[in-house]
Amino acid sequence: MAQLLDEIQWGEPLLAPDIDPAWEAELKRRGGNVSEVDRRIAPSPWIREACLGINTGRACAISAHLFNIAALVTAQENACRYCYGASRSYMQMLGYTESYIRRVEQDVHLAELDEKERAMVGFCRNLARSRPRPAAAEFDHLVGLGYTREAAREIALWIALGCFYNRITILIASPPELGFEGWVSAKRLKFLLLAPFMRYQAARRRRGKRDPALTAQALGAGIYGPVLAPLAGLPGAATMKAALEGAFASTVLSRATKALMFAIVARSLDCRTSETEARRLLAADGSSDAEIEKSLASLESARVPAAEARLLPWVRDTVHFQTAQIQGRTRELAAMMGNAAALEAIGVASLANATVRLAMLVE
Amino acid sequence: MSAATAAWLLGGALLIAGALAWAWLQRAREAETLFVETRRKLEQLQREFERFTPPDLVERLTAGCGDVAPQRRQVTMLFADLRGFTSMCDRLDPALTVAILNDYFRHMSGAIGRHHGHITELVGDGLLALFGALESNPWQCRDAVLAALDMRAALAAYNQQLAAKSLPQLQFGIGIHSGEVIVGVMGAGELNKFTVTGDPINVASRVEGLTRELEVDLLITEEIRKALDAGFRLRPMAPARVKGKPEPIQTYHVENNEGTRAT
Repeated sequence: MAQLLDEIQWGEPLLAPDIDPAWEAELKRRGGNVSEVDRRIAPSPWIREACLGINTGRACAISAHLFNIAALVTAQENACRYCYGASRSYMQMLGYTESYIRRVEQDVHLAELDEKERAMVGFCRNLARSRPRPAAAEFDHLVGLGYTREAAREIALWIALGCFYNRITILIASPPELGFEGWVSAKRLKFLLLAPFMRYQAARRRRGKRDPALTAQALGAGIYGPVLAPLAGLPGAATMKAALEGAFASTVLSRATKALMFAIVARSLDCRTSETEARRLLAADGSSDAEIEKSLASLESARVPAAEARLLPWVRDTVHFQTAQIQGRTRELAAMMGNAAALEAIGVASLANATVRLAMLVE
Repeated sequence: MSAATAAWLLGGALLIAGALAWAWLQRAREAETLFVETRRKLEQLQREFERFTPPDLVERLTAGCGDVAPQRRQVTMLFADLRGFTSMCDRLDPALTVAILNDYFRHMSGAIGRHHGHITELVGDGLLALFGALESNPWQCRDAVLAALDMRAALAAYNQQLAAKSLPQLQFGIGIHSGEVIVGVMGAGELNKFTVTGDPINVASRVEGLTRELEVDLLITEEIRKALDAGFRLRPMAPARVKGKPEPIQTYHVENNEGTRAT
């Protein structure tokens, strides 16, 4: 049973806020808000860009209503106190009643959702949880219920992006936005009355943003191309592609460490597509098949710098976890590696988890 | 119809509508309260249930997932048994005996859980832990051996606490083996449990038994050795005959794990 908001154990923040006035001004200019998370991830250019892309991103094939519910249940499944609280408050701001939200989070079958919506929520929960990942039949079931293939792919993309963002906030133990949550709660009646206006404003804001919708050729050409190619035409795909390219271009961690982290997460969830891509990256850097296999079996590699060796067993625990425990383990890691390397590792682990969930579209 | 009558009728209709709305709201509130209370009870039941069954399994059962149906899986089994505990029971106060045993199980359970395993059975002073039974785990052999090494360290730490209280110290034997077994919820009537069945579980049990004969605390089979990297320091033992096996089986004593970087 997924936990409710007040049941999630949440540790003290791993990272202190890093105020970067230029980045905060840029965030506001590009339609983002400066959140507790933004202040903590600011030192990593690719992570902050990815988070901004998610926060200001839009869906083109699914309704804002489904988008909001998907964000809520994904955060709940991942036991992310930060995102769950923020999603909940955002929905209250849009006029969703407390009773409706509670029914969605407690038992979807009781909520006022139709069969199509219930199937979508079930898919969100199963893909976020990934015990195991949903099979192609579950995707086909969504299509059978009337979603277009594009809409079903977009749902999977936003769950994957949600899993990325949820893990970032969980692993850095970002303080929940209690100010925002309290403010919305205090004005709940006002928001109920203003619901149509708030929804119109939210829709207008999303409509105003125009992400580039990349072609299958553009998506398929780069890193993890086979996983990204089915996202052609979806606005959020550019965020995923930029995150993958940014993560592997970054020099904070070695390329071998990052590729092995991706391979370990892939193997944990028995994802051949994602593991093959990680193996391709490792082979390009000179690792033989036998060497890669040995590293995956032992969760150790001579190609990984000694300071990064602990990331290999740690990343495995970011696939399924108890929130408080993984936050504790990440804290130990940061104490040994330093904050810059820990933040980078958190980004890579989060992205590997998002990628392996997204890869269900090609399996 | 006069205006006064119409006003009375309208007033009456409004009054009835109001009463109906009020009654409907009351019913909705009652349903909401009942719903919240039912969920609270379900959560409490789930937490209690988790004391007896792995939380992951409880989650699947309460979610109505069908994947707890019996299936063949590659699973690694770890048997641990305390040595000489029965004779210790005869000398100690029953309450103290149970307290020591519970503390021992708590330490062992922590070590097993840290390495992705779960205890499926406690029989007397023995336990059976499974790795990879609930979901695919490509590192199950490694996890089981690391758990056993962690159990060894946890037992040493617990023995220090016992020694400080002038209580007798504990010794255990651990046997680990891996193979394809049938996993599922098994039992009859009122007693059902999630467990495994198949020949590999008998082998794991026999290997645990061999620890007494070979006077070591931790033995693994050839199947486990093949899955381990060079970082584990292993000592081959003389092949030994066990009940139910026509040929002697090769076992290894696990001394420690130094990691491949150290080798």
